[in-house]
Amino acid sequence: MTVAKSGEVVEEQAAPATPSDQRERDRMRRRLARRRGGGWWPYAFLAPWFIGLFGLTVYPMLASLYLSFTDFDLLTPARWVGVDNYDKMFTQDPVFWDSVHATLLYVVVSVPLKLALALGVAMLLNRDLRGIGLYRAAFYLPSLLGGAVAIAIVWRQVFGGDGLFNDFLAWFGIEGQDWISSPDTAIYTLILLAVWQFGTPMVIFLAGLKQLPKDVYEAAAIDGVTPVTRFFRITLPLLTPIVFFNVVLQIIDAFKTFTPAFVISNGSGGPLNSTMLYSLYLYKKGFTDLQMGYASALAWVLFLVIAGFTAVNFIASRYWVHYDD
Amino acid sequence: MGHQISRRTLFRSASGIAVAGALGTSLSACSGGTGAGSTSSDLTMIWWGSDDRHAAYKKVLAAFQKKNPKIKIRPTYSGYDGYFDKFNTNIAGGSAPDLLQMDTALVAQYARKGVLAPIDSYVGKSLDLTGFSKTLLAAGTVDGKLYGVPSGIGVNQLTVNRTGLEKLGLELPDREWTWADLKKIGTDVHKKSGGKIYGVDDGGGSTLQCFEVFAREKGETFFTEDGKKLGFTADTLQEWWEYWAEMRKANASPPPAITSAAHNDLTKNAVVIGKALFTFDSGVYGAGGSITDAQLDFLPTPQGDFSGAREGNFVNGGVLLSATKASKKVADSVKIMSYFAQDETAIKDMQLLRGIPPTEKARGLIASGLTETDKLNMANADYIAQRVGKASDALAAPAPPPQGADQIWDLLFQSNLAVAFGKKSIKAQLGAFFDQSAGILEG
Repeated sequence: MTVAKSGEVVEEQAAPATPSDQRERDRMRRRLARRRGGGWWPYAFLAPWFIGLFGLTVYPMLASLYLSFTDFDLLTPARWVGVDNYDKMFTQDPVFWDSVHATLLYVVVSVPLKLALALGVAMLLNRDLRGIGLYRAAFYLPSLLGGAVAIAIVWRQVFGGDGLFNDFLAWFGIEGQDWISSPDTAIYTLILLAVWQFGTPMVIFLAGLKQLPKDVYEAAAIDGVTPVTRFFRITLPLLTPIVFFNVVLQIIDAFKTFTPAFVISNGSGGPLNSTMLYSLYLYKKGFTDLQMGYASALAWVLFLVIAGFTAVNFIASRYWVHYDD
Repeated sequence: MGHQISRRTLFRSASGIAVAGALGTSLSACSGGTGAGSTSSDLTMIWWGSDDRHAAYKKVLAAFQKKNPKIKIRPTYSGYDGYFDKFNTNIAGGSAPDLLQMDTALVAQYARKGVLAPIDSYVGKSLDLTGFSKTLLAAGTVDGKLYGVPSGIGVNQLTVNRTGLEKLGLELPDREWTWADLKKIGTDVHKKSGGKIYGVDDGGGSTLQCFEVFAREKGETFFTEDGKKLGFTADTLQEWWEYWAEMRKANASPPPAITSAAHNDLTKNAVVIGKALFTFDSGVYGAGGSITDAQLDFLPTPQGDFSGAREGNFVNGGVLLSATKASKKVADSVKIMSYFAQDETAIKDMQLLRGIPPTEKARGLIASGLTETDKLNMANADYIAQRVGKASDALAAPAPPPQGADQIWDLLFQSNLAVAFGKKSIKAQLGAFFDQSAGILEG
């Protein structure tokens, strides 16, 4: 027996083994097996993760894929209906299109605003001031409260007809309206809530800014480059990987927004479906209208749309994201 | 350059997070199966309501348990929001409660899906329904079988802020009033209050307390008897929406933003926030206990002022108590239903918290202990019940509504709002309403 360069054991046609040879070889095998991590116990340690993966992700996904081709009301057994659910969604369900409209508006408006604000604040917080940690924490705080029901309830109060926001406008002699219950403005209160929770991308931007090379800025300063040029010519290009990262994550997040829409509209998606975000519609179909098959189909369409958006992002990124490697 | 961000480190972690995140919430919520009852040895019971109702239920259950120490009851209670979402999830997950408070509007849907246990075989044995009228029991009867015991009489009535009316020097309308009278007093409220208060909250999208009665005055029903179609004509709905468009124009009803804000939120109801004096939303008082300080009063839904108008009001069953089919304790649940229906202390403890009690005996028992508002509430309900009983032209009380009914009621609300916000003309919205309703009823 020889051991190849790669470390693989290569068995040779050896002469009949003597008992001591045999013992030696067995010991060798056991040692090698140990070194390669053989045995069952590593899997035992991984078991919780596998159970989670298969029990809570893979199985439910497959189940929902199956259910998306059925008429399933949660209470009686599912009945196979082929692509009916998908067909109905695109051809006969005006509320589906209302929810697509609301969601796209929400994503397209909230994500750029949120990221711009996050980057702006990150730039401001990227300096050595006394108590800077406190400022950073203060700006990050809204994100921690992010999905909380309590914040959504506060939002409802602030932008309601007799809310704080109208009191604020009244100082300037402007007569407000009920922002939450008007179909033209309700979605923007949700967008504002999303933008206000800019803390997570901000922290990531801050981490990125910290890594930018100081020598480049020193050189630029010596050459008398203005701050605006510095931002567009140095900071932004160097930061593109971080921007890209945030864009991808925030778009995915925005597509899945549920809690604020649910709480602010009292679960109705109103007024006039203007805040019927896709996830909310999906929830309503599944758990309120008892159309779990249809809801599963909605979920798969959402999944494909998110996958599509993410793929487009990755392809487009080749043209504007600069990596150092 | 010392710049360290590389493609691989960034996206090795990022793509994992992204994919897991996208899948996690959007997909994993959607699997399920049909299951059977609770595994706990306690009898589980759920209801929705106000704090007053919770307290009364708990008091009655405690008294019941003293008499029946073998039956252990584990109660869970909440507001109405999300109550049935949770119930649906529990059933699908195999942890259905044994006994629940059921909505008359949903009993048919659940009975036909095989969720509820028929309880006919207990009637006259462990289930004592002495004094319950046949019309009242109809509220819990689906396809000829009894699936729930009505807790009391439910009527469609307007809740009126009488204090507010008196302040403006206006008189409470007569109970034999019409839609034209409603318009008149609504307009008067707006004028006399200097434009600060509107008359009545916008009923154009309110089905149960409002449009259904109007349709019945025309001899039409909301759903056909078999529940497969809408029972009213486009002309009727058009006339209805035009009436409410005039109401808004005359400031007898508030602008749509106020109506919209109150959707699913009783605390924003126009009467509660002081923007109107009349409301069709029975929740302002009906859930037990008032959420305004004003002295309230009650009126029947107005009568038709057109020729050939019929009696449109009707009596239904308040809320119901139902047992689930998967439960192994249906017999015990029935005992509890019977206790709530007939036991004297139970009736006294419940007062009007689950509607006007269903039997003469029960109404007699609580009469002396009622608050002023409760007395007015009960007097009006009695009045409506008697008028409906005497009317020769009244249609039978509506059959329990079909599956999808709640979606259609919501559609009516949204449709009226779309007209009110000026997003759609009445004609255009009529077409959309009938198309979408047909789609929902076909399933």
